[in-house]
Amino acid sequence: MLGAGLLPLALAGCGSDPTISEDPDELVLWFWDRSASRDLLEQASQEIPGTDRHLRADVIGTSFDTKLRTSLAGDAYIPDITYINSNNALYFTNEDLFLDLSELGADSVKDDYYEWKWNLGTTPTGRFCFFPLDIGPTGYFYRQDIFEEAGLPSTPAEVSAAITTWEDWIALGTELKGAADAFLVNDALNVFEEFLNASPERFFDTDDKALYLRPDSAVRQAWDTSVAAVEAGVTAKIPRERDTDRNAAWASGRTAGNIGAAWWAQVLQQSAPDTAGAWRLASQPVRPGNSGGSFAALPHTCKDPEAALAFITWINSPENQAAAYQDESLFPSTPASFEDLTYSGDFYGDQDPLAFFSTAAESVPSSFISNAETFIMGKFVLELSNVETSGKDSEAAWNDAIGQAERVLLKRGVFS
Amino acid sequence: MSTAIPTRPRDALTPADPTAKRKRKIREVLPLYLAISPFYLLFAVFGLFPILFSIVLSFMDWDGMGEMSFVGLAQYKFLLTDGRFWNSVGNTFIIWFLSTIPMLFFAMVIAFLLHQNIRFTKFYRVAFFLPNVTSMVAMAIVFGSVFSDTFGLVNSALTAVGLDAVPWLSSPWGIKITIAVMVIWRFTGYNAIIYLAGLQSISTDLYDAAKVDGANLSQVFFRVTVPMMRPIILFTVITSTIGGLSLFTEPQVLLGDSGGAGEAGMTIVLYQYNQAFTQFDFGYGSAIAWALFLIAAIFAIINWRLVSGRGDDTVRRAVRTKEARG
Amino acid sequence: MTALKPAAPKSTADAHRPNAHYVARGRLVAVVTHLCVITGVLLSIFPFYWLIVMSTSTTGEIFGYPPKLTVGSSFAENVRSVVSSVDLLQALVNTIIVSTASAALVMFFDSLAAFAFAKFDFPGKKPLFILLIATMLVPGSLSLVPSFILMSELGWVGTLQALIVPGAANAFGIFLLRQMAAGSIPDELVESARIDGAGFFTTYWRVGVPLLRGGLAFLGIFTFITAWNDYVWPLIVLVDPERQTLQTALQNLNSLYLTDYGMVMAGALISVVPLIGVFIIGSRHFIANIAAGAIKG
Repeated sequence: MLGAGLLPLALAGCGSDPTISEDPDELVLWFWDRSASRDLLEQASQEIPGTDRHLRADVIGTSFDTKLRTSLAGDAYIPDITYINSNNALYFTNEDLFLDLSELGADSVKDDYYEWKWNLGTTPTGRFCFFPLDIGPTGYFYRQDIFEEAGLPSTPAEVSAAITTWEDWIALGTELKGAADAFLVNDALNVFEEFLNASPERFFDTDDKALYLRPDSAVRQAWDTSVAAVEAGVTAKIPRERDTDRNAAWASGRTAGNIGAAWWAQVLQQSAPDTAGAWRLASQPVRPGNSGGSFAALPHTCKDPEAALAFITWINSPENQAAAYQDESLFPSTPASFEDLTYSGDFYGDQDPLAFFSTAAESVPSSFISNAETFIMGKFVLELSNVETSGKDSEAAWNDAIGQAERVLLKRGVFS
Repeated sequence: MSTAIPTRPRDALTPADPTAKRKRKIREVLPLYLAISPFYLLFAVFGLFPILFSIVLSFMDWDGMGEMSFVGLAQYKFLLTDGRFWNSVGNTFIIWFLSTIPMLFFAMVIAFLLHQNIRFTKFYRVAFFLPNVTSMVAMAIVFGSVFSDTFGLVNSALTAVGLDAVPWLSSPWGIKITIAVMVIWRFTGYNAIIYLAGLQSISTDLYDAAKVDGANLSQVFFRVTVPMMRPIILFTVITSTIGGLSLFTEPQVLLGDSGGAGEAGMTIVLYQYNQAFTQFDFGYGSAIAWALFLIAAIFAIINWRLVSGRGDDTVRRAVRTKEARG
Repeated sequence: MTALKPAAPKSTADAHRPNAHYVARGRLVAVVTHLCVITGVLLSIFPFYWLIVMSTSTTGEIFGYPPKLTVGSSFAENVRSVVSSVDLLQALVNTIIVSTASAALVMFFDSLAAFAFAKFDFPGKKPLFILLIATMLVPGSLSLVPSFILMSELGWVGTLQALIVPGAANAFGIFLLRQMAAGSIPDELVESARIDGAGFFTTYWRVGVPLLRGGLAFLGIFTFITAWNDYVWPLIVLVDPERQTLQTALQNLNSLYLTDYGMVMAGALISVVPLIGVFIIGSRHFIANIAAGAIKG
């Protein structure tokens, strides 16, 4: 009875006051710990520069998306500003729940940011809803000591020159395995994902037309490259979810590398401190990609969009992103930030990872990530792991992946 | 069975006055409804709406925040032919089977031993309770390290005694066994504590009688403890069935949202979670949830029949036997 | 069926005969028993010990290879990190309120209902009980959105009662206590209370509660633990930074890229220790032979 009575309410999304704070001058931000500089948040909690509002920053831990989506679905207790992870495409189908920042004048700072990152914040209909925070340009992390012992090219310049194509990279891996019994990477998925992250073309175009079904598609090339790596035996076959195993493999040197983003430099340094000085960075085969990096968005219920945008542009200005890099190692999405930054540390020997990744960031291609990718990525990941761990025939696996993908896309209304 | 309002004596005493009798009847029954009402009221207020919502949802296409659209039976039709769903059903049952029987058996043995007034009982009780509170994040790391293929303690031990290493976390059976071990580890103590709480209520007279009859420890266990504990065993069997069929935390902690290599550790609820909270397909998630409800209901009924059977009679007879002799 | 029959023919003299062999065998049984129990204990304690090791280590030590199994030296530092990022005291107070209130309400409401179901008859009992069991099978995780909407309509978002009230009586506990009552509360006691003129609530208090002591202790402990460890629902429904539970506060230690595992483990350990205390206090009520004493009395 009660349920039946409430159901229409739920569907109409009728709530009381949809924002969190009752204080009219207070804007609430949801973010993750370490995704913003504490000093800057502290400043904004006094007053957001250029406005007469102040900020309340609430840390949300794991299950961030669940909390945000529940609030938006219930149309109640919605933050005025929210951070969103690199999976912002998830929100494309509900983009009307977020404000178009271009309409609010965000374009005036557009030139300060990497163009490819700005594009990632734009929805397929051309609305700019997701403002750039940090980025994750990628490179190939490797153990110089193990490469050297194996008699392979070992300086960053040598390795970069030796792996300009994926074929060369796999060939180098075969030698590494023969000479040092070590693997290039922990799993084939690392290859598949980073190949795509560095590709201008992904699964779909902006009209959600499937590109991956074409015989020469980027997805097919990423698949073939990953399968070739498996067949050459250069992956350690330790999948993503087994953190402990992966860390043990890197720490022990059994796996001598990883294709990772700028933020992984810090992760590695923290989880494998004993390997300090042994790691180096080489350019990813073909070109660098982008993995991770977050956005800021303004829900449609935002109390004061102008002040909220003022906060976002202020905290992401080149100077402040440089500060955030120093405080929390967030890799800046504004090239100008690097003018103020210098790297000190010897985890990567005499190599400067800051310089390495800021150079890489220049060459990341623009690409489009469709929401529909979320529906089918898992099928490719599963089938790739079947090829890798249980020796499934790669052609059969590919066909199963696209078969399952088609079923799901029909169900979700992407295909008709 | 438990029909303790013995209306007979009172009927015999009270003259046949229908209205007085009815009034008395209402006066007797009213407190009983009052006693059980909190659960049903709370359920009506907080439980019913979400349930109706999720039933409606299973006929909708919904991503968890935007517009809903009605799709009729499409979600259920998809489910019937969804290989990943049926794989998860198979996995769930295999893991349930591998874990529940050893878990309940060990729990009963532990409870029985702890009930024997052996020394350090209090310490043992705390020790067996610890798995229930050890944080799951820590568990992920511990089990990941212990069962790691290349670097794990178990495989190191196996190779040290000349056996082959087992690919615990990358083969279909290894994954299922590891999850089952985790379940057994986490819930044996929990069930043992339920049994212990139940054992305390068995009259020691029964044990004395059995000892006087010269029964040894295992005879006491199988002829006194088990029959007297039948209602509680039924409870643990039903709750472990429900818990086992909704197994989620262990595989998720151990293998992540994907269920591990080849989805060998993908359980029904993990798949449901996957669909609803990582694929944001709430309509399909609801359909899976209701399919599970159906499976669990059938399974619970079968279990109930198997375990309860003539259970209550047995207890009654045991008590009567004892009383006749005592 | 044949509960005690096979034992019955033996004469009582048999068991009373003093026998050195019997004593020796008793000792052997005791040793074997202890060995089994100790093996189980070690297996149970080991991961908890590892949690202690991890909470005293740095992230690098936690993921080091080979794994380190001795207690480290970073505990103070890890705890300091936790304390500086989380308002532990406030979260602790909130969590204690929620867990204690939940446990008290569940113990009271569930035992009342269980006693009624186990020992009395009333029209509609069977269907009502089946409905109760059926609610245990109902899938829960999808109810986040409707429950949130409900709380928002009630104006309960951000309040602690949103965590306490919906679960104040649960099917699990009623089922458990009903099973315990069915086996352990003799009908004779209920009957004699009735003959003395006691009503339902008096009988519940004088006969039901004392005999259900062990079951109530169990239910109380585990309701407390469940409320203490609950995470997703508190995350959704609590919106004020100053009104968080321990779990929602500790989960905030996980960040997007870089998680300090030493700190996370120290937080986990801090949140577990009070539960062990609650268990020790609660488990004192697992005392044998109350039923027998009650019958005789």
